[in-house]
Amino acid sequence: MDFSNPFGLYTGEQQFPITSPTWPVTSAEDPLSGHVTSATGHVTSSRRSRYQSHPGAVREEPEEEVVAAGTGSSEGTRTRKLSQRQLSQVLERSGDIPVLFSAKPLSKETPDRKCEKKEGKRESIQVIYTAGRPPWYDSTGHQEADAFVIGLCGGSASGKTSVAKVIVEASGVPWVVILSQDCFYKEYNEKEKELIAKNEFNFDHPDAFDFALIYKTLKKLKSGKQVKVPVYDYVTHRRKKVWNTVYGANVVIFEGILAFADKRLTDLMDLKVFVDTDSDIRLARRLKRDISDRGRDLTSVLKQYNTFVKPSFDTYIAPTMSLADIVIPQGVENDVALQLIIRHVKRELDRRGYVTRSKTAPYNDRLTELPLPDGLDILPSTSEVKVLLTIIRDKTTSRDDFIFYSQRLMRLLLEHSLTFLPVTPEKVTTFRGEEYDGVAFTGKLCAVSIVRAGEVMETAIHSVVKDISIGKILIQTCQDTGEPALHYLRLPYGIANMHVILMDATVATGAAAMMAIRILLDHEVPEESISFVCLIASKPGVQAIAYAFPKVRIIVGEMDPDIDEYYHICPGLGNFGDRFFGTS
Amino acid sequence: MRRQQSTEQGPLLILYRISADSTDPRHLHVVMSVCMMAGTPPDNFFLPVAKCSGAAMDEFSRLHILKSNNQISWLQTILRNVKTSHGDFVFNADRLIRLVIEEALNFLPTHDKTVHTPKGVPYEGKAFNKGNCGVSLVRSGEAMEKSLRECCRSIRIGKMLIRHDDDDSSKPPKVIYVRLPPDIAERNVLLMYPLMNTGGTIHQSIRELKKNDVKEERIIICTLFVTPDSVRHICSDFPKVRILTTEVNEDCALHFGERYFGTDK
Repeated sequence: MDFSNPFGLYTGEQQFPITSPTWPVTSAEDPLSGHVTSATGHVTSSRRSRYQSHPGAVREEPEEEVVAAGTGSSEGTRTRKLSQRQLSQVLERSGDIPVLFSAKPLSKETPDRKCEKKEGKRESIQVIYTAGRPPWYDSTGHQEADAFVIGLCGGSASGKTSVAKVIVEASGVPWVVILSQDCFYKEYNEKEKELIAKNEFNFDHPDAFDFALIYKTLKKLKSGKQVKVPVYDYVTHRRKKVWNTVYGANVVIFEGILAFADKRLTDLMDLKVFVDTDSDIRLARRLKRDISDRGRDLTSVLKQYNTFVKPSFDTYIAPTMSLADIVIPQGVENDVALQLIIRHVKRELDRRGYVTRSKTAPYNDRLTELPLPDGLDILPSTSEVKVLLTIIRDKTTSRDDFIFYSQRLMRLLLEHSLTFLPVTPEKVTTFRGEEYDGVAFTGKLCAVSIVRAGEVMETAIHSVVKDISIGKILIQTCQDTGEPALHYLRLPYGIANMHVILMDATVATGAAAMMAIRILLDHEVPEESISFVCLIASKPGVQAIAYAFPKVRIIVGEMDPDIDEYYHICPGLGNFGDRFFGTS
Repeated sequence: MRRQQSTEQGPLLILYRISADSTDPRHLHVVMSVCMMAGTPPDNFFLPVAKCSGAAMDEFSRLHILKSNNQISWLQTILRNVKTSHGDFVFNADRLIRLVIEEALNFLPTHDKTVHTPKGVPYEGKAFNKGNCGVSLVRSGEAMEKSLRECCRSIRIGKMLIRHDDDDSSKPPKVIYVRLPPDIAERNVLLMYPLMNTGGTIHQSIRELKKNDVKEERIIICTLFVTPDSVRHICSDFPKVRILTTEVNEDCALHFGERYFGTDK
């Protein structure tokens, strides 16, 4: 996955073009650099082939590492478990699925998004999905609806992955995570490894999978939390140290040969789909893949098929067909069945959708009458702070001055926000050789900026904490709904144990800040470890944030009394990002 | 908080122990009378202000200590630690200096100003009056110029070089070099020097400023660390000068200039 220039894709801040679809990519902790690439990113399908941009592509990275590290290893033992990905590649090459899996832009293949949008309005459907992830929590900051979980089961080489991809792409729903059962093979002991080496281990048996971990992961993902998915090393048959981070799914597709084998899993699934492909076709695909792509001989492939794959299918996989809500014969070629599923998924998601901003706005009117929250801290209004605020609020201020004076105010604000960090006593030696009872901050600190206006504070935070790590969150307001939408996310590694300074320039309704805080909480950052810093906030916005997240400390330069009907701060300072970057 | 009264003649000094839980005499902080005057920063920015007992105190010098907090204590610890590396020393000294300079700007006179925001809504704010300047004392005072320049891009900065006699330290230090803005008599002066041990250098520089017709009440001394003795020394001779610092402590041996500029052994 290429994250090299995720922001280069966005040309404007105001509205993400509805016709250029983006796909969430479950992030990986980059195996080469060891850095977290954190939760999610986007790549447009026009820039790269569909496969690369697909969420499932996340598995490619670790696998590539296996290839790089696995020289001299047994190719045969590895190939068995790469089947899902390899399968789709085989299918692509063999031309089985001529249209849907070519690397053409999406608009050629699926109905135009704009048309969908119009249709949606005519049918008075509440939520129109754009590229970003719409809010998944309510005004109290709590999860409103669980993610929609689709279980996808079927025999080996039946085309599960292909079906998953079609569902993702055709339904046009962003923020989909495809979770593969292949990631959840158990760690094997020496005896089992010997069997594997001799091709005598049954990978199609339920005992081969760690169902407890699958259940835990799927349950957490369904409830909107960040999860770590193991990366299986097919050489050592152990899990790698660094696991993939997956976050932010509105739809979770769990696919695997034994996806329905555990009742706890099927209970989590909102829709269970069984891909029923004829066993002849499946065997033909296996043969083609293993022989022509992996260089294995016919006898060993057939032996494995007859000893393990076929009996396991008959014993464990085929009976679970009765659990499925929908059975698709012929897999991905069955267009009628796929359209049926896609329609159902869309309907379910629309049913779950809701609008927070218009909900919170009238709510805010009542909130403003409440006393100011305890977590609020306003920068002491010294004459200097007042002078700085006067300059940046003045509409006649030149951009040069605006940048300079807003950055000065940011530095004051961030210095102020650091004073809330806890310190521990520390004895140091002075030049006289005496002991001095000092203090030191020994905890970990990181900053997270909300793109774009929050990024302007990065200079200031670097000048007060020189080696701070900075995460980024891109949240944009969808102009159709007025809702914030999550587009991009990358957070520092180990953020759960850090004090987090969340930065944004201004707060009007507090919707973006609430989404950002919700994301941090989903990454298991304790609420009391979060300090939200902004230059100017409206009182309703502050109240909304404090109401949802009472333990979050809110540090503002100055608080304005109100927001107007356009959700702008009054008196405010205009659009901060436009004035700072000169894009108005 | 315990109160002690100094036995010195002249203006009464009221000394406070700021850290109620600390009995270490080095933590002795001195707060001298701060009378209500125009442009006094709000109380919450400073430590509790001692009420003066006599009318004469009103005219007495004013010492302002930056309100202490976790971060400032941490910065002070880093600067005092003999093991701090050169890079860390410069970075953290700059942070503390910046806080002092930002605070010093609060002492400068302002006037009310109403502006209109881009939404067309009037906003009642403030603006600084013109006519301020900085004066740094070579060499360690120059370390503070950077922060002043970062706050006020085009402020005029004068320089003075004042040296102690190497052979006889009992002699008053000599003024070697002076270059000041020509109209300094009309300006408020931020006098920058990070440490006041005996106060001799600062004392000499104020005399030099007064020679240039700068009024005492227009001088604000910006420092990081001061000793109680130096404060007494300056305040008794120049009662109207204001001193802004982060800590009053008997131990001010930080070798600031050496460490900041990296010329220590």
